[in-house]
Amino acid sequence: MTRRIVLAGVAWLVALAFLVPYLQMFFTALKPERELTRSPGAYLPSHWTWSNFVDVWSAAPIWTYLQVSLIVAAVATLVTLACALPAAYYTARNRFRGRGLFLLLVLVTQMFAPTALVIGIYREMVALNLTDTLLALILVNAAFNLPFSIWILHGYFSSIPKELEEAAFLDGAGRLGALTRVTLPISMPGVVTAIVYTFIAAWNEYIVALTVTASPNRHPLTVGIPSFVTQYQAHWQYLFAASLIAIVPVVILFVFIERYLIGGLTAGSVK
Amino acid sequence: MQDLTSKGRGAVTSPAPRPSPVRRLGRALTPLLWLGPSLALIAVVVLWPVIEMVRTSLQKITSSGVTLGYRGGGNYTDLIGEDDLIPVVLRTLLWVGGIVIVTMVLSLALGQLLNARFPGRRVVRWAVIVPWAASVLMTALIWRWMLDNYSGLVNRVLLDLHVIDEPVNWLAHPGEAMLWMMWVAVFVSLPFTSFVILAGLQTIPSDVYEAARVDGAGPFRTYFGITLPLLRPAVLIASIINVINVFNSFPIIWAMTGGGPGHKTDTTTTFMYKLAFFDQNVGESGAMAVVNFVLILVMVLLYLRAARWREEIR
Amino acid sequence: MKRHLMGVVAAGLTVALGVSGCGKGSSSGGDSDGKTIKFVAAIYDDNTKPYWDALIKDFEAANSGYKVNLEMVDWSQMDTKVKTYVQTKQVPDILNYNAFSDFARDGLIYQASDVVSPSTLSDFTPTFVQQAQYNGTQYGLPFISSARLLFYNKDLFKKAGISEPPATWAEVKADAQKIKKAGSIGYGLPLGPEESQAEFYSWAMNNGGGWVDATGKWAINQKANVDTLGFLKDLNKSGLTQPNPETTDRKTVFNQFAQGKVGMAIGGPFTKAGFIDPVDKNLNFDVAPLPSKSGAEHNTLGVMDVLAAFKKDDGKNKEAVKKFLDFFYKKENTSKFLTTEGFLPVTKSAGDALSADPYMKQFVDALPTCKFAPTSNPAWSAVAGAVKQNLGNSVANEDPKKVLDKIQETAEKAG
Repeated sequence: MTRRIVLAGVAWLVALAFLVPYLQMFFTALKPERELTRSPGAYLPSHWTWSNFVDVWSAAPIWTYLQVSLIVAAVATLVTLACALPAAYYTARNRFRGRGLFLLLVLVTQMFAPTALVIGIYREMVALNLTDTLLALILVNAAFNLPFSIWILHGYFSSIPKELEEAAFLDGAGRLGALTRVTLPISMPGVVTAIVYTFIAAWNEYIVALTVTASPNRHPLTVGIPSFVTQYQAHWQYLFAASLIAIVPVVILFVFIERYLIGGLTAGSVK
Repeated sequence: MQDLTSKGRGAVTSPAPRPSPVRRLGRALTPLLWLGPSLALIAVVVLWPVIEMVRTSLQKITSSGVTLGYRGGGNYTDLIGEDDLIPVVLRTLLWVGGIVIVTMVLSLALGQLLNARFPGRRVVRWAVIVPWAASVLMTALIWRWMLDNYSGLVNRVLLDLHVIDEPVNWLAHPGEAMLWMMWVAVFVSLPFTSFVILAGLQTIPSDVYEAARVDGAGPFRTYFGITLPLLRPAVLIASIINVINVFNSFPIIWAMTGGGPGHKTDTTTTFMYKLAFFDQNVGESGAMAVVNFVLILVMVLLYLRAARWREEIR
Repeated sequence: MKRHLMGVVAAGLTVALGVSGCGKGSSSGGDSDGKTIKFVAAIYDDNTKPYWDALIKDFEAANSGYKVNLEMVDWSQMDTKVKTYVQTKQVPDILNYNAFSDFARDGLIYQASDVVSPSTLSDFTPTFVQQAQYNGTQYGLPFISSARLLFYNKDLFKKAGISEPPATWAEVKADAQKIKKAGSIGYGLPLGPEESQAEFYSWAMNNGGGWVDATGKWAINQKANVDTLGFLKDLNKSGLTQPNPETTDRKTVFNQFAQGKVGMAIGGPFTKAGFIDPVDKNLNFDVAPLPSKSGAEHNTLGVMDVLAAFKKDDGKNKEAVKKFLDFFYKKENTSKFLTTEGFLPVTKSAGDALSADPYMKQFVDALPTCKFAPTSNPAWSAVAGAVKQNLGNSVANEDPKKVLDKIQETAEKAG
């Protein structure tokens, strides 16, 4: 019993440690601008300026940034999934010429990050006449997160016994029917993990969006939010208020899917 | 590969009726049907920029951005001539190694903790996930703010605890700044990594532990003799993904020090960016990008070799 | 096998290209009707965008059928953005920037006489026209100018027992020591990557130093410059500046100055409205000429931002660009921008508008002694980039001579 209490105590402290920066974000977002640069800094705002959370919406087009981030992340996730599912399923179920090569290609692709390729990416987008479009961001995010999704799903499909599908197949479900009605539902945790990983990565992507987009109405949150701190002015309170507005929905999303997530990551580690 | 081909040849000489060319073609095309979308996406969005990047590294591009044609290896010679190159590369290796090792060790502990039973476990799990949900850039910005010389929280706390007598300008001193940024990188890598470990822990059947207890193994021996070896795949995948992500990490350094003062906290990634946008030398930046990729390729391949990856994917 | 793969890749490319056609949609301006132009303006402060919004509304009302698409970019992202525009061939029709010569060299922008009327052209003050030339032809359109003076906190001076602002470097050091003794920071030295080239040049020019020699060749590692850095390094190492000048930006220095914690710092006309007033409107400060080594003559740093008009669509945009630029250079419009933002005039007609304000007048009066960075040299942007990154270290842990040698090398390599 005491062991459990000690354990809980440690765990709660760890949780607090993870939250401290975000609490600080919250308190900073509630300070009036003139209090921010006081030194030494204060722990809590002396005037709790809740209006910062209202004013921030008019100080910058937060709503547009949110929409852009959401569209890019959601569509990129869908594209990734549409490409990764068949590839992962086929490689998990079949041995064929070029399979090893394909898996190696996936691994090598995983090593390329958009950060390292940003110059190449924007020169490509010029060639495709895609600069300053959301499509460019969607394609980049979808492609660079594809390897992880293939990886996780490949692992998951491999762990599902073939016999389950064959039973459905014999029942006359057809190959595709067996896949969608039997395999996919069982693989839900793997699919959720792939979705979450891609979505979060796209939601957080910074450098490509910074270089490829130009118009403010195509800026995602990651590009829009730092613009509160410019060369001449620093509105840290707005920066952090906007950050919280961006973080909270994702945290809520995580709360709902946390259980699936562990199941999904299991698959990746089994293989 | 080898035996697949020989098997194919065997089929031709066998007396069985040969499948019609159309069907054979169909069979050869089937994988492409399933893998096609992935291959297309990778080819267009990943391989194309790679080729662009290599081309850029061989071109002469003016400061305003106009391409003047090829200049052979000139950009590479310029890059090697940079005094900052060697320190930046060494710092990058330290950055990746340090962060990944610390992340893995802490995650192993954290995964164990999150796997244990105690009241409020779910809430603690949610808290640990928050840095993953928050964008890395925003997390880096709040840390930069907390480390501010004049009004940062870190200085305030340390002053109140009388650990320091006067404010420390953490991010201005390359050594301290590097350590803090590495800490932030660990902080944002922990959620994903510890969840992969947690997932790995849950795949270990409880009867294995049962057997160990019957054998009279202590907690220490159980952990190092059973848990850790069984976690190998999880550790492998988590560390590879971390190596790749940490190596390519840009927002943390960019938001906290911008790689400065000078180039003293640059990694190859920020250095590459600054070559293009501060030094106005896109070609040399392209050369840095190529070197950058070779570096990560070597690092990952060495790691995979050490971890005998081929056995894992079979 | 390989051939099939190529086929699929090719198909994939076709799809991507096809998609791109519709994905583009109503993206940027510069449509081929020649009546819609894209204007990229720099953000000077929170008032910049409202100013342009209003001006463009007036312009569109006065010229029906013409349209200006405004894009605001922060200065800290400007270099990145501009490079992206050029490389991606997405240049705006008009750009508000601090450099133009490499565009002129690469044939990307119009000559000034092509895009403004003769009356506008003759209204520019000759000093600035000179700065806007490349190879003897004017390409840049002077937009705003600025000069630098020494800001000092009168209360801190009084507390430290100093009666006059310093005129020589020796006095700067002595005064900084007195202010330090009285418990404050003597001199605020921003040598971080934000604008170290301006801070350095403000000191170097008052020691006979500078970027180029009399013949216009790069002379960055000349002795006068090395000595200047030596002096600044001494200030830092004697604890007379704020900690870590090599990572400090102007924003931080003037925030501390406005809080009454810094005795002296070099600022411009916008410093009062931009940095000091938001923190403390009643701060008791004044401005003085930049101190010089000998105290004999006092030069000041001149800064000029420009507008540049890009060639696009075989010159179809020329007419709309000209209309808009002439509209902006009307006296009432330019002077309104200057008073809104706190900058100095570049045209003769707007000159008097500012001299009414006693604070502004001191800067206007300093303009004749202005020295400029060599912005008409196309290599300047690369040099400025190198200075921003490396100069600060020279007052911290590196040898000033070595740092300057390296920048000189970069400059010579860039042309």
